[in-house]
Amino acid sequence: MLELRGLTRRYGDHLAVDEVSFTVPEGAMVGFVGGNGAGKTTTMRMVMGVLAPTAGEVLWQGREVTSADRSRFGYMPEERGLYPKQPVLAQLTYLGQLHGMTATHARERSRDLLGRFGLGERVKDKLETLSLGNQQRAQIIASVLGDPTLLVLDEPFSGLDPAAVDQMSELLREHTADGVPVLFSSHQLELVDRLCDAIVVLHQGRVVAQGTSEQLRATAPLRYRLTTSHDAGWVRGVPGVTVVDVDGPTALVEPADEAVAERLLVDAVARGGVREYARIVPTLSEIYREVAA
Amino acid sequence: MSLTDQTDLRPGPGAPEEAPREVRSPRAPWALVMAREVQVRLTDRTFLLSTLFTAVLILGAMVVPSFFGGTTERTVAVTDDAGAAVVAQAAPAVRGMSVTGDADVTVEPLRVADRAAAEEAVRDGDADVALVGGPGSWELLSDGDAPSSLYVALSDTVRTEALAANAEAAGTTVEELTAGSVLTPVDLTAQEGDLPEGMLFLVGLGFAMVFYMAAILFGMQIASSVVEEKQSRIVEILAAAIPVRQLLLGKVLGNTLLAFGQMALIVATALVGMTFTDLDVALPGLAGAIGWYLPFFVFGFLALACVWAAAGALASRTEDLQSTTMPLTMVLVVALIGAINLEGVARQVVSFVPVASTLLMPIRILEGDVVWWEPAVALALVVAFCAVTILLGSRLYRRALLHTSGSLSWRKALRLSE
Repeated sequence: MLELRGLTRRYGDHLAVDEVSFTVPEGAMVGFVGGNGAGKTTTMRMVMGVLAPTAGEVLWQGREVTSADRSRFGYMPEERGLYPKQPVLAQLTYLGQLHGMTATHARERSRDLLGRFGLGERVKDKLETLSLGNQQRAQIIASVLGDPTLLVLDEPFSGLDPAAVDQMSELLREHTADGVPVLFSSHQLELVDRLCDAIVVLHQGRVVAQGTSEQLRATAPLRYRLTTSHDAGWVRGVPGVTVVDVDGPTALVEPADEAVAERLLVDAVARGGVREYARIVPTLSEIYREVAA
Repeated sequence: MSLTDQTDLRPGPGAPEEAPREVRSPRAPWALVMAREVQVRLTDRTFLLSTLFTAVLILGAMVVPSFFGGTTERTVAVTDDAGAAVVAQAAPAVRGMSVTGDADVTVEPLRVADRAAAEEAVRDGDADVALVGGPGSWELLSDGDAPSSLYVALSDTVRTEALAANAEAAGTTVEELTAGSVLTPVDLTAQEGDLPEGMLFLVGLGFAMVFYMAAILFGMQIASSVVEEKQSRIVEILAAAIPVRQLLLGKVLGNTLLAFGQMALIVATALVGMTFTDLDVALPGLAGAIGWYLPFFVFGFLALACVWAAAGALASRTEDLQSTTMPLTMVLVVALIGAINLEGVARQVVSFVPVASTLLMPIRILEGDVVWWEPAVALALVVAFCAVTILLGSRLYRRALLHTSGSLSWRKALRLSE
């Protein structure tokens, strides 16, 4: 389990990351969302130890993370790159070795993954001769080499074609199935919603919301849409109901609780002509816009 | 709220902690980095070709003259047996005077009919000089100045012969006549196996040049291999996988190994080349100086290596290297110029200054003007300096390494936080 406690990073007067705390449990996939400059990359760099925190700590399995622990973490930095002039297999083998694998094991594992990503024929080619999409695939392989105990991926899906997105998602699921915690950042909220067990929303260096998507949705106000055959203006008079919007026969309302919502339906049925009465579940991006406003 | 609440904490089946032990490598990260650094260079065609070219050039410079220079042939036109006898007697002396001590200078007499024919032979270039006349009236004809070695050797022979003839006429011997007239030169600094002064200078210059070249070439190599990793952005993956200190150590050691290997190749080539010349007799005299030169080379190189790495880290693109490495190149150039030109006390003082000492101290040891403790102190100083630059260089390296937007000045980099 990865745990961040009060992690803070200051650049001069600028507070890039402010007391960020959250956990990534064993086998869980946590999505890290937030706009540009929210502090996601800075936080991830501190987790990986390439940047020193101004304050706070990073815990791994309950104790302070060591460089030996980190050598087993898989990392995909925001700024991508491998050795352009070295053959793909050779450099992946080298990176695997840096993560503590034997040369033979690293070579086998790289070969397997390259084959899986359709690069089996290109193992001896220099990286710079590969297409951009294939370079991205090599980068993905580099981040999961060495049987990682944790994956920290900064925008792993950006720039991937749909096929690669699916391959990547599958790869991540395999790791969480093995109990590996995965933390990744993304701007693609629908993707985060689909893949993640939990979400951490960062805004201006602070965690403004976190939890499973159900939990985040639960924090949003109860909202219903009512459509009748005639004008719906009468809802304004119902006690305990806040009207968000009325447009002819359609009304968007926020009942104080489920009981009020039920009573509203009874009233509507009594008036006759109910065409629709539906609970509005906000999308993740709507929640995100709300908390990051 | 904590995310832990919603998730099963059981360790997953086949969690990485249970990975079979034999697939984990015990190799230290720095050793891996070093191995890659060496391997990449050794498979780099440009590097291999330039190394080969240097070796061939050195070998050629030493071997070729002994082929061409070895056939130096002097021809002396003579008109009779007396002249030929003088030439034959002078020939060994001419050889002894050749600068390189080569025994391959030959002096051949060329028989001509008379003085007119001799003059013609000299004018036509068939003979270098002509020895005409006879005992008591010898003349040396030449077209322009006579080659001095020939002139000196021939006039010595003529003088000796005349002396012998005169002594005999006076009823005495040459030995009696010349007794006590010899001035014997004694070179106080010369010891057995020592090199002639000109050679001394050349060997010393060779030492200095080899270090200077290695420091610049491999220093630049370190800096550019650092900036390559920055520019390609792979550095963040590396820095996350292993401690930056290990990365630096591997790079520095790998390139030191390469520098040392290349230097060994050059020196070995030079030694092989020497066996083609007569210089190899002087080799035993060099052993002591080489023994001191090696540690000076290693520590002098290491002292700069981390600073070169820092210079590489300050740049963010290869194009910035020129400006970030400028201070280092300047220091080396100034040290080299100083090593060649300084004299007296200044020279002695500078021979203790780290890095400059690698250039100067071996020369002073060669010249034999040092007391035993002087190289020892200079070496201790460069070792201490080495420790300081490693500390400072690695700090700069760590701080500047992930700074990818634009190049940094040395001053600014020192103020960066980690």
